[in-house]
Amino acid sequence: MEKFTILLLAGITNGSVYGLIGLSLSLIYSTSRIINFAQGEFVMLGAMMTIFFMVTLKLPIAVTIPGVLVVLLLAALCLERFVYRALMARQAAPLTTMIGTFAGAVILAGLALLIWGPNQLYVPPVFSLSPVTIAGVTTTTQQVAIIVSFIVLMAGFWWLLYRTSFGLCVRATGVNPKVALLMGVRSERIIRFGFLFSAGVSGIAGILLGPLLGGQFSMGLLLTVKGFMAAIVGGLGSMFAAAAGGILIGLLEAMVTGYGTSLYSEPILFGLVLIVLLVRPYGLLGEFEASKR
Amino acid sequence: MKTARASFARLWLPALIILAIGLVLPLFMTSGYTLRIVMLVWLYAILGISFNLVFGLTGQLTLGQQGFFAIGAYAMVLMQSQLGFALVVALPLGLLACGLLGILIGLPVLRLRSHYLAMATLAFGLILEGVALRWADVTGGSAGIRVPQLEIFGLGIGRIGLYYILLGFAALAFLVQAFIISTHIGRALQGIRDDESAAEALGINATAYKVKIFALGAIFAGLAGISYALVSRHVDPSYSAMSINVNILTIAVVGGLGTRIGPFLGAAFVVLMPQFLTQFGHYEVLFHGVFLLLFLLFLPKGLAGLIESSGFLQRARKQAGETGANLTQGAR
Repeated sequence: MEKFTILLLAGITNGSVYGLIGLSLSLIYSTSRIINFAQGEFVMLGAMMTIFFMVTLKLPIAVTIPGVLVVLLLAALCLERFVYRALMARQAAPLTTMIGTFAGAVILAGLALLIWGPNQLYVPPVFSLSPVTIAGVTTTTQQVAIIVSFIVLMAGFWWLLYRTSFGLCVRATGVNPKVALLMGVRSERIIRFGFLFSAGVSGIAGILLGPLLGGQFSMGLLLTVKGFMAAIVGGLGSMFAAAAGGILIGLLEAMVTGYGTSLYSEPILFGLVLIVLLVRPYGLLGEFEASKR
Repeated sequence: MKTARASFARLWLPALIILAIGLVLPLFMTSGYTLRIVMLVWLYAILGISFNLVFGLTGQLTLGQQGFFAIGAYAMVLMQSQLGFALVVALPLGLLACGLLGILIGLPVLRLRSHYLAMATLAFGLILEGVALRWADVTGGSAGIRVPQLEIFGLGIGRIGLYYILLGFAALAFLVQAFIISTHIGRALQGIRDDESAAEALGINATAYKVKIFALGAIFAGLAGISYALVSRHVDPSYSAMSINVNILTIAVVGGLGTRIGPFLGAAFVVLMPQFLTQFGHYEVLFHGVFLLLFLLFLPKGLAGLIESSGFLQRARKQAGETGANLTQGAR
């Protein structure tokens, strides 16, 4: 039982991060019909910039978090301007644009390799990593922080999407960008918002996840894939389902690793996602979410 | 008569020039190091052809070719070291393993389209790297396995011999690719690339074609992996590393997607460029990313597109009357 709760908590923690990445991927996908391969690199950048601000510059947390966010928003702006919009202006096919975001991911990873080198680095935790016991469950403040941020971000995003007129524009662009443009929605801005918001979310995920995983220049791509798995399991077109898919992926991964071996966890996850893709191409929760629109 | 000459110039001349260079190059190569570099060009060209068939020609974006690259190498080496097979048996069996796995993976995965397919194949590649790292009993973990001495029927093969074997492999891969492009198979595959539903409406069994070309791509990727194992004499999990995948994409985009000689030009670029960057070390990853993006933006048909639009071939094409489908067009 003790082991189970620990695994459960670890699964929800990792799952929250996968869910946030899945939500980011799904937000960009639903506004621009592009899968952003650089999403995981934003998480990597978040973890690495935390090292830069807190270890190299020895700045306090209060400066670190806004600093990391500013860097990430700049990176997202560059990606949007020099990859997405540049390729769109040349009438590139969606797959070409996807290879473009892949190139963006390679460039970010290459820059990180130059700055921080190939080794795994220690990322200072924003919250304490020493165990605390809450209601009989042993956990750390960092874990709790990740789960709480996940819930807060989710609630905030839901409010933005469903309770503001801006959110209505985002959803309209998601349904049909061209018609939304005709109705006076500035689709280009919505797409830029998608890139910026998802980079911010991924940056926060990076700050929080960094201490648990360690920072390495090559960590981004596996996170992109796991986030994409989350988005697939939930349903790519619906952002909250993607987030729920992330929790499911994280839980499964923790349980397989905990009760089996880590050797099998990734192949099993991959097989599962393949089955989901083949049986229900729109994700487990996809149609439920779709009908609510 | 004129037409025949023109199309000969367009289709075969660049390839023959490359072959001629490849045949005489060892005469000028004095050091083993430079010879090794050229061998890398040939095996990366095979890998590029593998990706070219699946994505450039058929439009199925696969990001997992490095997985088959690793499987081919591991299969051959393990069959030699664990089962005691000779190279001439282990090599075709390794290719067979790649082909079968290609069918096994391809059947479910190829039902997916565009980004779903890309992600599923990418996940396949990443998982394979993880398995190669962690399944240490068989794969030797991160230390890898040594490749036994190269021997065919008891005869030791030297560097030059290996060079010509690899050149032969590359030429074979090129010929298979040229055959596919110039027959009805190539047209069917391009039809699938441009509009799968329309192709099916015309009676093309899209699934069968896609699975077959995916399996063939897997075999070529395996052949490239085996070649790499023979050149480097060592197999380790870096065979399925992401950097191989980045190399493949760079070969395809820089060389020119869907073109005949693109893989050779791209491979030469990918292998030779880092030689000028050795003093920069870690810059390699960054440069690949930058070049990938620059070519996507400013030269979407790659180096092969540049050559084809140059004066000489343009004239040849005009003489040929340029009728029918333009087979050298890049992927959509």
